[in-house]
Amino acid sequence: MTKTRISNGMFIAMLINLCFVKSIGVTQGVLARSVGQDMWIATLLGTIQGIGVIYLTYLVIRKMPDKNIMEIGESLLGGWFGRAIGLIVFVFFAAGIGPLMLTFVYHLQEYFLPEAPRVLFVAAAMAVGMVGCYYGLEVMARIALVGILFIFLLNALIVVGSVDEFDIRNLLPVLESGFPRTLAASIHLDSDWALSTMLAALIYPAAKDFRQRGALLGIVAIAASGLLIIIWSLLEGAVLSAEVTSQYTLSCMKLARNAHIGHFLQRYEMIMISLYSIPMLFEVMICLYGATLGAAKLCGLKTNTRTVLPAGIVLGVFGYWIVEDHFVALYYLERIWPWIALPIAVGLPVTMLIVQALFGGRKT
Amino acid sequence: MIRVMLSALLLGGVVALAASCMGLRQINELAIVSAVGLELGEKPGTVRVSVQIIRPADARGQTGAPAGGTGEPVYSVRAEGKSIFDAIRNLGRFTSRRVYWSHNFVIVMQEKYARKGIKEMVDFFTRNHELRMDTWVAVTPDSPEELISTITGLEVVPGEAVDKLFYNNDVAGHALGSNMMNLEEAMLSGSAQPVLAKIQLQPRGISNKKPGARASINQVELAGAAAFRGDRMVGWLSPKETRGVMFFLEKLESGIEVVDCPNGGGVLTMEFKNARLRVVPSYRNGKPEFTLRLRADADMVESGCDGALGEIRDEARSKLEEELASSLRGALNKAQKTYRSDFLKLGDTFRNKYPSEWRTLRHRWNETLSEAETEVKVKVVIKSAVVKAERTNRP
Repeated sequence: MTKTRISNGMFIAMLINLCFVKSIGVTQGVLARSVGQDMWIATLLGTIQGIGVIYLTYLVIRKMPDKNIMEIGESLLGGWFGRAIGLIVFVFFAAGIGPLMLTFVYHLQEYFLPEAPRVLFVAAAMAVGMVGCYYGLEVMARIALVGILFIFLLNALIVVGSVDEFDIRNLLPVLESGFPRTLAASIHLDSDWALSTMLAALIYPAAKDFRQRGALLGIVAIAASGLLIIIWSLLEGAVLSAEVTSQYTLSCMKLARNAHIGHFLQRYEMIMISLYSIPMLFEVMICLYGATLGAAKLCGLKTNTRTVLPAGIVLGVFGYWIVEDHFVALYYLERIWPWIALPIAVGLPVTMLIVQALFGGRKT
Repeated sequence: MIRVMLSALLLGGVVALAASCMGLRQINELAIVSAVGLELGEKPGTVRVSVQIIRPADARGQTGAPAGGTGEPVYSVRAEGKSIFDAIRNLGRFTSRRVYWSHNFVIVMQEKYARKGIKEMVDFFTRNHELRMDTWVAVTPDSPEELISTITGLEVVPGEAVDKLFYNNDVAGHALGSNMMNLEEAMLSGSAQPVLAKIQLQPRGISNKKPGARASINQVELAGAAAFRGDRMVGWLSPKETRGVMFFLEKLESGIEVVDCPNGGGVLTMEFKNARLRVVPSYRNGKPEFTLRLRADADMVESGCDGALGEIRDEARSKLEEELASSLRGALNKAQKTYRSDFLKLGDTFRNKYPSEWRTLRHRWNETLSEAETEVKVKVVIKSAVVKAERTNRP
């Protein structure tokens, strides 16, 4: 499965797509609730941490550039270790479907189809995800390229539509919450790029120029994600104010509701959802993809094709359970997901580096 | 075979989901609201909601009854309930179509309703995904149901007329362009209070059929502002005070002022332009202070004065500066002394410059503000008498 090759641009696009939608959609609201108008600083701090972790992930893969993190584990300590990492990867992506599914479902249901049953959205997302997964990495990477174009369009449109209402006073005073609290709040942004770094741990070997420019590719992807997201942090803080941003589950939709170009182009929600759709479905797709790879390794299968359907059902049921109750969804998003995402996304590469240092010479 | 069956099943599922008619709402099934009025209901604890619904067949083109139409471009109805949502649901008992909010232009609250508190109103309309956030919000001393049903100006739909009044509010500069976006922001802010536009009915329209009745037809006019403390309205601001508020909140750049001629005679009208207000906070002896610096250019646009305009230029400038300073002082006085409500966002300015001092003062900010020293400095430069040469006015 690692023999598939994707271009450097595809690799970067995949990592950006994977953390963008949730970051601008729900994470900014969480950050505004934590540190008010300093949410853009928390986003910036989170991005810097993300750059550090993607570099750690690169260091792990660099030693065996034709293997993903599970295969490296297997090479280092044998099949049991590879399976253990497979289990961790499966748990990570299965848990990650919760925040992504709530981002997807609440955007569509609450703003467009409030009367449609939730199961419809979950089933549609999982169906598309399974199709993408079935066709493999290259197809998903091409989707990510389209997604990145949509992300640029979305950002351009929201900047043009919001710039009239931009009030820099709403971003002041800077660091009112204090640096330690702002740094602590940045874990919510960390839990977004965690998905990207874990995806990198699986697909790094597929990147065309991994051997020559692997570190740079990862760093560019996370830094570009941060820049694209920070535009929203600044706009939501300055246009809506931190107090208003903090009131909403989907603060980006609130910003889109306020945006307008002249008198005639009002309310961006529909345009936004159109541009959002590809990155959003891509996120679900990749979460499923990561879970299928983990499940395949856990079960000792050579490819992930046979795990697509069972993993899809597991993730679909879990995703539905999360989005069924708003209070559960927000509790999971703010209190549980970061504590699953960060120990794995940071702990796994660190552990692997230690194992590599101790057992690097051994090959099974 | 299994793969083919699974693919067919999946494809069928995707097609069924993608082509879903779930939540479908045809445009001819909607009652498109263009204005909303809110007031206290007859029974204690109830709210009365009046809505102006566009009648599409009659709203197109000019006024009058097209074939098959009634000639009335809007259908106005009202209902009461224990909450706004309840009242709106009660509308469904007699309106044939489902109420649709996305094209609402304006929300008008009656004074008594606003004085009782508007927290529920803000919550309802911001929680409702259909409503635009640039919907204008205003307070009226009149009946809101009468106001939203009054055809004003050249528009066919009254709500649209009010919408256009607000779009051009800076021309007269006598009412704020308050919308749901800035109302929500002020309501949630820890350092500012809301202020909304005041609109009222005045007999301004002249009937073409009965010109002898003179200006007897009610029209909606922008007429100042309503100040709030928390979610309750505390009082009115005059149009002149509202102009002062607009320098703070809407960066008002231009307007006109009429002053007495310095050398006797009639009056002199001046148009100020490029106005820029700068609020400079300072902190001395445990108390905040504010210096307001307003700079503007001005033209003499109408003169009934004796003598050459060039000769009275300096005195005219002083009078204009005094008029503008008076607008600012009026707004400050209402915020600091009369209503003790920081609708001028002075707290925001102070907080941005003195964040640590703000932490100690924020809990009693309205009281602190009322004791704050303020200084108003206005500097105007009169640059032109427009198209006329200065000496043409000499007798």
